[in-house]
Amino acid sequence: MLNANDIVLIGVGVGVKLLLWPAYHSTDFEVHRNWLAITGSLPVSRWYYESRSPWTLDYPPFFAWFEWALSHAARLWDPRIVGLDNLEYAAASCIVFQRLTVIVSEFVLFLALRRAVCAIGSSVQARVAAALIFLSPGFLLVDHVHFQYNGFLLGILVYSLAFALEGRDLLAAVVFAVLLCFKHIFIYIAPAYFLYLLRHHCATGSSTSASALRLAQLGLAVAVVFVIAFGPFVAMGQMQQLLARLFPFKRGLCHAFWAPNFWALYIFTDRLLSVVASVAPQLVAADISQLGSSTRGRVGDTRFAVMPDIPPLVTFVATLAAQVPAFAVLMQRTCTPMHLVRATVLCAHASFMFGWHVHEKAVMLILVPLGLLVAAAPSKRVLRAHAVLSVAGFYSLLPLLFGAQELPIKAAILLIWVLCSLVFLRADSRSAWECLTHFERLYVLGHIPLFALTELVPGLFGRMQFVPLALVSVYTALGVGYSWVCLVAAFLTD
Amino acid sequence: MVQTKKRKSPHRVARETSVVPVHRWFQFLESQSAQIISLPVTILFALLIRWCISLHGYSGRHTPPLYGDYEAQRHWMELTFHLPPSKWYYYDLQYWGLDYPPLTAFQSWLCGAVANAIDPSWVALDVSRGIETHSSKLFMRASVVVLEFVTLVPAVVLLFRLKNMQMSWAARQASIFSVLMQPCLLLVDHGHFQYNAVMLGFFVWTVYFAAREQHVLMAISFCCSFMFKQMGLYFAPAVFFFLFAQCFRLRSGGLLFAKLGVAVLGSVGIMLLPWLRSLDQLQQILLRVFPVARGLYEDKVANVWCGVNVVIKLRSLFDTQALVRLSTIATAIAFLPSCLHMFFMLWRQNSRYNNTTASAITLLRYCLLNTSLAFFLFSFQVHEKSILLPLAAALLLVDKEEWAVNWFVQVALFSLYPLLFKDGLCLPYWVMAVGWSLLRSCPACPRDIQTPPVVVKMQWLTTLGMLAIHICDALLVPPASLPNIFVVLNVLYSCGMFVLFFVYFYYRQFVFLSSDVDATKQKSD
Repeated sequence: MLNANDIVLIGVGVGVKLLLWPAYHSTDFEVHRNWLAITGSLPVSRWYYESRSPWTLDYPPFFAWFEWALSHAARLWDPRIVGLDNLEYAAASCIVFQRLTVIVSEFVLFLALRRAVCAIGSSVQARVAAALIFLSPGFLLVDHVHFQYNGFLLGILVYSLAFALEGRDLLAAVVFAVLLCFKHIFIYIAPAYFLYLLRHHCATGSSTSASALRLAQLGLAVAVVFVIAFGPFVAMGQMQQLLARLFPFKRGLCHAFWAPNFWALYIFTDRLLSVVASVAPQLVAADISQLGSSTRGRVGDTRFAVMPDIPPLVTFVATLAAQVPAFAVLMQRTCTPMHLVRATVLCAHASFMFGWHVHEKAVMLILVPLGLLVAAAPSKRVLRAHAVLSVAGFYSLLPLLFGAQELPIKAAILLIWVLCSLVFLRADSRSAWECLTHFERLYVLGHIPLFALTELVPGLFGRMQFVPLALVSVYTALGVGYSWVCLVAAFLTD
Repeated sequence: MVQTKKRKSPHRVARETSVVPVHRWFQFLESQSAQIISLPVTILFALLIRWCISLHGYSGRHTPPLYGDYEAQRHWMELTFHLPPSKWYYYDLQYWGLDYPPLTAFQSWLCGAVANAIDPSWVALDVSRGIETHSSKLFMRASVVVLEFVTLVPAVVLLFRLKNMQMSWAARQASIFSVLMQPCLLLVDHGHFQYNAVMLGFFVWTVYFAAREQHVLMAISFCCSFMFKQMGLYFAPAVFFFLFAQCFRLRSGGLLFAKLGVAVLGSVGIMLLPWLRSLDQLQQILLRVFPVARGLYEDKVANVWCGVNVVIKLRSLFDTQALVRLSTIATAIAFLPSCLHMFFMLWRQNSRYNNTTASAITLLRYCLLNTSLAFFLFSFQVHEKSILLPLAAALLLVDKEEWAVNWFVQVALFSLYPLLFKDGLCLPYWVMAVGWSLLRSCPACPRDIQTPPVVVKMQWLTTLGMLAIHICDALLVPPASLPNIFVVLNVLYSCGMFVLFFVYFYYRQFVFLSSDVDATKQKSD
């Protein structure tokens, strides 16, 4: 059962989360309210066709069923929440209900982390690392202010990894399949799971036939999950519509705010060159029609003035190529569950760096499994990469909460977390801060002037509102890229 | 999931047994040699919680025409910024006339000037009344936080880092955390909306200078405290007798007495400077600051008069003058023994020891607590928010009176519930109430060996009593003849508890400290 420390941890966490209720919430709040309305008021056959609101249902079926379950409670709480035409409904009762669902569903993450900590070995480091995951700015700011269910979804991922750490591969596979049917973004780390299960679960059979049997077992178990999730929609002949909703390629290379990845640096270079082109056209040939195009605002296509355009296919090839180190990790001489966690981190990191239309929130996909690695007596290099990546990654989330009202909240939460993680997390009994090189410390500290420049001085950039955002993206992209290189090197030479 | 580490060094075992989570957190920091982040994390957490509370409701939100304390404070910014000081205490008294001493007026002027520089519409004379724009609200909330962080926070941090506060590192840090996270002050200042932290900040500076034996600075900061809010005078007898005893105790006592006189008269005089030329003006300030006509107590407050009033209708039996006399005599009877005890103890110490600052400060802290509690329980015209003063004094004793202070805070928070309920602060109230119980007092902690078992049982019982009143309030419809029954129950319950705490702290000042001093005496003999 829960011990005193768990209770205090939950108490402090839930207390802060409850106090955050009246803070800003993004359009994602309305997205999820609309999904409550769709799943609660329409028959299953209409779920993926409904389009009264622009925020159509674009998550896989299990998440739709999750919303469906919540919609029953919502109807009892306040029937107007599930009104299909009640767009933009955000009365106090609706806010309380939706915020509560996030807080309650996040306990999945808590329980999963407890399980993972037990599997790792309940050291102080493991407990602290798990606590730092549970109360990370990623969840506090994105889930409980901005509004999303990442804690719940990543909780399922941690459950899957915990089962793997316990050696229960089949269960890990099934839980991961379930997760895929909740949110398809996790398909980015599916290759790691696939290879790991083949190697660790199937290939370890006593004979070829035993291995084949295990493979069949595994395939069947996973297939059952997918049949349960997608079967009804296949039967209704809606698969094409469902896939069109899940994979909307109309969206651009980058999200409205550039996620701190390779493409952010790419666009930045393009913008720099286009400035050069407008000043000195003889030096750089630019597509004049694109010079004025802005990347801020509505989700749309990103065009380039100087650099070549990037079609989706290029990003896929790049992502897959970048994931090769992850496969290499799984092909090492030994293959333990920890190798799965490492490969998961590398897969998520590669897709974050090179994926199509990456959201900055996806950094949690790297940081949560990486946090588990840090929980289990990491090497110095991994700890350093974790420190740099977490500071850069969490910092890149700050522009999501752009109001002055949220400024002290995001600054305080981020600072507390960074201070604790730099001091508490250890490798070879040296704290993370002590492990960092001078250069890395400088980078970490560089976020302070960046914050002062982009957040504290309003109107510094006048009408060029995208400049502070671009600065944040580029600066944090450097850290994310650096930590990726570090992690690849650390895992491959380990 | 965090901090449980079995440590090897045996000399730490005694401290390890503490299971109050706040202590455990700081012991964990110590065990991880992470002392360096302790203070930054405490202060950032304090900032975070304050700002989170400020997202919620405040006094008089959306309630024209008069609004509430929030509008009063904003209105004072408006009138002090736009009018000369001679009009400050006369301007439109029907609409939130200024009724705090000059330092509050100066603070309002300063905030008004800053507000005017950012956006003049926030404090435009007359036309800005009831302004509730998002940005103006942010400014008001930020002004409370900033003023608290320049007055109260540094005072608390410096006070508990003094050598004279004989404590371990973890206990110092835990005390700083507890004083800064005291729920009542947070909810009244950052929820309901007031600037009590400034007054209490000057009060903590007073104790800080007392501990450093800088008596002139002590007197000046105390003057600032009661010139910010007249409620600061609740501490006046204790401060007076402490300084008076110093004049007797020290060799250069006569000189000190003269210096203190000049310091007090000088600082009060400077703060009254704009009004000194006219007697009418000074009289008007006095009338505004001490509104005798407003009656024995304000609204519903958990003090003796309001409690007695349930049975005996004092206000219809006696006229105001008689009530003033009655309450003044009762207050004096209540605080004098404590002050005289401190006075004679300090005087007596003089002949025998040299280094007695630590015990003198402990004595002063007890006396401040008892005096202010006496004022809260017995004096004239007490607000429910005035409990913040005895609370502030009690929290400075948090290292000596662990469980009693925790318990006192619980009850005080409960006594503020009707006020907070009116302001729409139920959610922060519950979060802070549960949070405080969880982090500090934790009657649920089974291994809390520092607290005597009987106290744990009693605390459980009173907590259940408070919960019962809350549950009745939430579920039952009060009978038509007694619409305020649950508020009255709250008042009676809290008042009874406060009287018990008063008796207990008095007992502690007399019995425990005498024996403490005797023990020291024997040692030195």
